[in-house]
Amino acid sequence: MKEQPLKEVTQLIHAIKVGMVEGSYSITNKTLDIFKYIIMSKSWENADALMQIVRAQCRILQAALPQETVTANIARRILKLIREEFDLLHAKVQHFADDSQASLSLHKLVTQTSETNICVDYSLPQKGLREALLDHLQEVETELETSSENVCVQAEEHIHSSEIILTLGHSRSVENFLKRAIKKRQFLTIIVAECAPACRGHNLAASLANEKKVELIVIPDAAIFAMMSRVNKVIIGTHSVLANGGLRAACGAYTVGLAAKHYSVPVIVLAPMYKLSPLHLCEQDAFNMVGCAEDVIDYDSLAAREAKVYSPMFDYVPPELVTLFISNNGGHAPSYVYRLLTELYHPEDLEI
Amino acid sequence: MPQITKKSDEFDVSRYFLHLLDEDKDLSSGIAAIKTLLWILEKKQFGTIHILDTTMREAVAAMRQTDLSIAAIVSAGELFCRFITLSLDDKHMEECRQIMLNRGKIFLTKLLNSRQVIAQQAQRFISDGCRILTHSRSRVVLKALIAASKNKKSFHVYVTQGGTGNSGEEMVEDLQSAGIDCTLILDSATGYVMESVDFVMVGAEAVVESGGIINRIGSYTMGLCAREMKKPFYVLAESFKFSRLYPLNQRDLPNEYKYSRKHLNDVAKVHPLVDYTPPAYITLLFTDLGILTPSAVSDELIKLYM
Repeated sequence: MKEQPLKEVTQLIHAIKVGMVEGSYSITNKTLDIFKYIIMSKSWENADALMQIVRAQCRILQAALPQETVTANIARRILKLIREEFDLLHAKVQHFADDSQASLSLHKLVTQTSETNICVDYSLPQKGLREALLDHLQEVETELETSSENVCVQAEEHIHSSEIILTLGHSRSVENFLKRAIKKRQFLTIIVAECAPACRGHNLAASLANEKKVELIVIPDAAIFAMMSRVNKVIIGTHSVLANGGLRAACGAYTVGLAAKHYSVPVIVLAPMYKLSPLHLCEQDAFNMVGCAEDVIDYDSLAAREAKVYSPMFDYVPPELVTLFISNNGGHAPSYVYRLLTELYHPEDLEI
Repeated sequence: MPQITKKSDEFDVSRYFLHLLDEDKDLSSGIAAIKTLLWILEKKQFGTIHILDTTMREAVAAMRQTDLSIAAIVSAGELFCRFITLSLDDKHMEECRQIMLNRGKIFLTKLLNSRQVIAQQAQRFISDGCRILTHSRSRVVLKALIAASKNKKSFHVYVTQGGTGNSGEEMVEDLQSAGIDCTLILDSATGYVMESVDFVMVGAEAVVESGGIINRIGSYTMGLCAREMKKPFYVLAESFKFSRLYPLNQRDLPNEYKYSRKHLNDVAKVHPLVDYTPPAYITLLFTDLGILTPSAVSDELIKLYM
């Protein structure tokens, strides 16, 4: 049977495609709402059925919006939540402690007592699962709501008075982070690379200009390298963080990363936990996306007749170029991302 | 009396071990070592844990005397001893033995399956039309490549000769019989082909605590070249190859790893069989525990041996 999308899912896909819902925070929030609705609905009998519904809807979302990894991330969170709650309730009934949640490890390989421990039968009906799930979903929601604030409070630790900060494009986390820093610190200089062709850096600059006591400089992307030598810190946002600690970030981020490396400028990436995705850079075709070409060259210009025009949306930035990730749980080195991922998701849910 | 039994044991152990490897050419020496240890556990009676422990250690020592590369034997032996310690309970000795045997079988089936798991993980990284450089012969790399070829992907593999011996030729024969396009190159041509390959994929004899690998000589050179040319360097290794070593440079590697037994007395004039590739040169490790970054390896080892 072919999987049918829920009405809510189709609406969300439409809203994202036409740009009514924008930014990974709102997308995550809306997706979480859908999964909450699924859990609340009466359409499932047991954990297994629920997990199948979640997976099916997530696959639809992924097929329609392959670039929005946050939808799959939040689905993985929900799946892990279901597994945990089920095991907890199951253990209470069966009176045995089960550590099947612990991810695959050498230690487990050695201590595993029987094969049956590996696969828990999720199709057993479990009383109180719905209530427990909704209870814990609340925690996830709160975490999501406070994530931006929790990232911002760390601004003071990283930005000091009279520093020169460079950023690229317009990331909401970076905007809030910088605003917080401006409030607390004096004589900051903020250099914004405009991030052509969309030039969303202009929006960021306009928004920051409302704040007083800050010197703002907007530069074209081509000047990133030239400006880098005087920069103290680079602070950027990202679209998602990959399993190896690399970034899938706005086009131009690689340039920034390389220039920063050249001048040994620390690169700080703001990435709330919901942006961490357990994917590797291997399917090159699915990785990038090309945007509208008219921003690069007018359709009615002479050159447009002959030239091929591409406007890629993303850059892959290897983990070596990132100094620090700031998430809502604190700062992490890129080499630590794998650890966060094992804590965040269940190994069986990596492939949805 | 213990002197005599020990002598005959040693003989039996290494013979059984070599017999296992002879029977199945595809068997890794690490798995053969674990099979041998399980066989001892099954066949012999143990009065106390202490005797069991010493017997196991003696058996590992006996297997180390064989003329095979010892890295996998050592790490597998250590893993097995750890396995025994962890499965001990305050139960009767015979009961304990039964538990261990039972667990041991599960443990073994999982290990035997590990190559399959790794090959599966590597599939997404082998794309249609890509060019791969591999070093000498590795059974797990071979398995991954054959699996990719069965998935109807066409790609080209460059295989280095791998120093003395004909392991590179063997690899090429194996690949060709599986219908995979391949070229045998000299070890010294690594730099030459590096610009034309998409990534490097090698096996490993051991994975050390830092996340680096010990592998046939020439792997380090390949890692250096790959880094210089910005090509990904992937390592395929089963988790029983994780060893508790922390070398900082080539000299830190124990001599038993580097030289064959007949040369151990005078190593000044022979060249080593393996080298150490530091974690900085490794992009990812594909193991049966998942796709790991080098830093994740020490985490796994700490969890086990803490």
